[in-house]
Amino acid sequence: MSVLEVRDLTIRFGGLTAVDGLDLRVDQWEIVGLMGPNGAGKTTAFNCITGFYKPSRGRVYYRDRDVTKLPPHRKAALGIGRTFQNVGMVKSETVLENLLTAQHTHTGYGALQAIGGTGVVRQREKELVARAEAILELLGLQDIRNRRLGALSYGTLKLLELGCALATDPELLLLDEPSSGMGPEESHELGERLMALRKELGVTMLLIEHHVPLVAAVCDYVYVLNFGKLLAEGDPDEVRTHPEVVAAYLGGEAPEALEQTEAEDERAALQESAPAADAPAADAPAAEEQPKPRRRRSIRKESA
Amino acid sequence: MTTQTAQLSRPIGIGTRTSARGWLVRGTAAVPLLLLALALPARTDDFASYASLASIFVMVGLSMNVLTGYTGQISLGHQAFVGLGALTAANVVSTGTTPADPFMFAVGFATAAAAAGGAAIILGAVALRIRGLYLALVTLVFGSVFADAIFTLPSLNGQDAGVSAYRPTALAGNYAFYLFTLALVVLCYYVDVCVRRTKVGRGLVALRDNEQVASAFGVNVLGYKLLGFTLSGAMAGLAGATFAFRSQLFSDKDFTSVAGFNLALTFVVIAVVGGLANRGGVIAAAIFFALVNPILSWVSGHSGWHTFYLDHKFYISNAIGAALLLQTVVLNPGGLGQVIRPFARWFGGRRFTLHDHEGDGVAAMEGSNVRA
Repeated sequence: MSVLEVRDLTIRFGGLTAVDGLDLRVDQWEIVGLMGPNGAGKTTAFNCITGFYKPSRGRVYYRDRDVTKLPPHRKAALGIGRTFQNVGMVKSETVLENLLTAQHTHTGYGALQAIGGTGVVRQREKELVARAEAILELLGLQDIRNRRLGALSYGTLKLLELGCALATDPELLLLDEPSSGMGPEESHELGERLMALRKELGVTMLLIEHHVPLVAAVCDYVYVLNFGKLLAEGDPDEVRTHPEVVAAYLGGEAPEALEQTEAEDERAALQESAPAADAPAADAPAAEEQPKPRRRRSIRKESA
Repeated sequence: MTTQTAQLSRPIGIGTRTSARGWLVRGTAAVPLLLLALALPARTDDFASYASLASIFVMVGLSMNVLTGYTGQISLGHQAFVGLGALTAANVVSTGTTPADPFMFAVGFATAAAAAGGAAIILGAVALRIRGLYLALVTLVFGSVFADAIFTLPSLNGQDAGVSAYRPTALAGNYAFYLFTLALVVLCYYVDVCVRRTKVGRGLVALRDNEQVASAFGVNVLGYKLLGFTLSGAMAGLAGATFAFRSQLFSDKDFTSVAGFNLALTFVVIAVVGGLANRGGVIAAAIFFALVNPILSWVSGHSGWHTFYLDHKFYISNAIGAALLLQTVVLNPGGLGQVIRPFARWFGGRRFTLHDHEGDGVAAMEGSNVRA
């Protein structure tokens, strides 16, 4: 059973098609990467999956349940946690308060009980604080427990944001550029941390990431978006050497495919351009690969 | 050397415990405040009446605190909720006996809170779609139209005579009534504290700061906005009912046209000058704005300026409000709350310190590792 399955996801803003027919799948306990140059539609896809945008077409399934139309807070309650590209936390609150806020759906008491000041609330609040402290300890952030967010460095904020996302008790975690603002050392640590989180908490992850070594280290599978369309998918190593991916990221030596995509059906473009791309890229392993059908992913999974 | 490190190892306000003597000093310091709050209003009926007005303003201030401070929504039409509370309570009680039956009196309060809370939901539903300047304009129009349309209905406002709202015999005296209003203030304060300390307040603050983040944390943004409006409206309704029983009369002139708008402005100024989301500061500001007119009236009466004061009553208090508002926005964004916070902390049993940041104590702790 897939944890997340996105079928034919499309969203248009006026004349601009930000995400165009995206299919992707994340299985249990996988860490899947979503790559692509700036403006490729990665964050927009995230926003569609988490319910911030309403897709123009397509479906989002969470554990085989159609959640396309659920509002974001309902998805959070179901166990879809997310982080934001620019640190998404409550800026006026302290670190601890943020972690408490993030446990909103797991407080175990209702809003009316809270307003009425019943005894249950105090007990539950203690448990929430204990859980927040456990998360701080897990991330090694105990020392900043009572700090306000304004006093923290960007890297710490990113890490804390991950903590807040964990505090929502997610089964599926969508991370939007978790390593931004981190140096190579820190992002290496982050990679190990993500692997450890998966092992200890059993969290499935989909992450938007530019940092190739991190993607290569943690991701089981990678999707690459360009101009809102799926450009390539596969194992990290496979995708890294994919000629079109290289072209999309570096520009310049772009194969014809990139110009054609605007006018033609993408599938056709993929099939035609792959052999043509061999010449400029001159990459032996890539040349051997035949263009794959888009559902390749699911075939591989079924055989595994 | 050793003495120095010993000092460093005990950072300000952390790890210190207030001694019995400390509590005694704090208790002594609280005596004048208690005298001001309890003994002074007992002196004359007028004092008690003004003190009740201060209670009413504090309730409205707490109502604004929930809406503007926590939820981050502005309301320039709060006089409508207060007025609706007053209107409802007066109409409920005037159907009964004179003096009022305690049961009807309680029902008056309950219906006032429910009616104002309900009206606030309507405004909240509008607020879901707009924000900022547009929201301010809509609340402004909502407040004045609502007040002018409903409060001027002859069947509800008792026409020129107004609707009488007699109190039960036990609360007939102004001082007894003042003590009753204090109990209501405590109730509103308690609700405010409960809101702030639980997921409700955290959810409201989260949606105030960033709606996307709030919903990613699982906060139902639409529902919580409505909840913020409802709570605030209900508190304002309670304050309105108290207002009607204070003068034992509902008169639509207190809440419509210029007088009503003046009230609405004062409420917003209370929230900002007191300090957004700062309970203590809002209470202090509410007391100030409730009493500024009686005090000015008294001062001008004793200095031969009384006619001048009466002619320019609205201008003077508005000018004071405007000046304080500017001072707050430009020089003192934390409002009155920031000014009184060190004192409030001291009364709470911690050290008196002007250092304000929550994180400072922790920073001091980290710095204190030089002990070895």
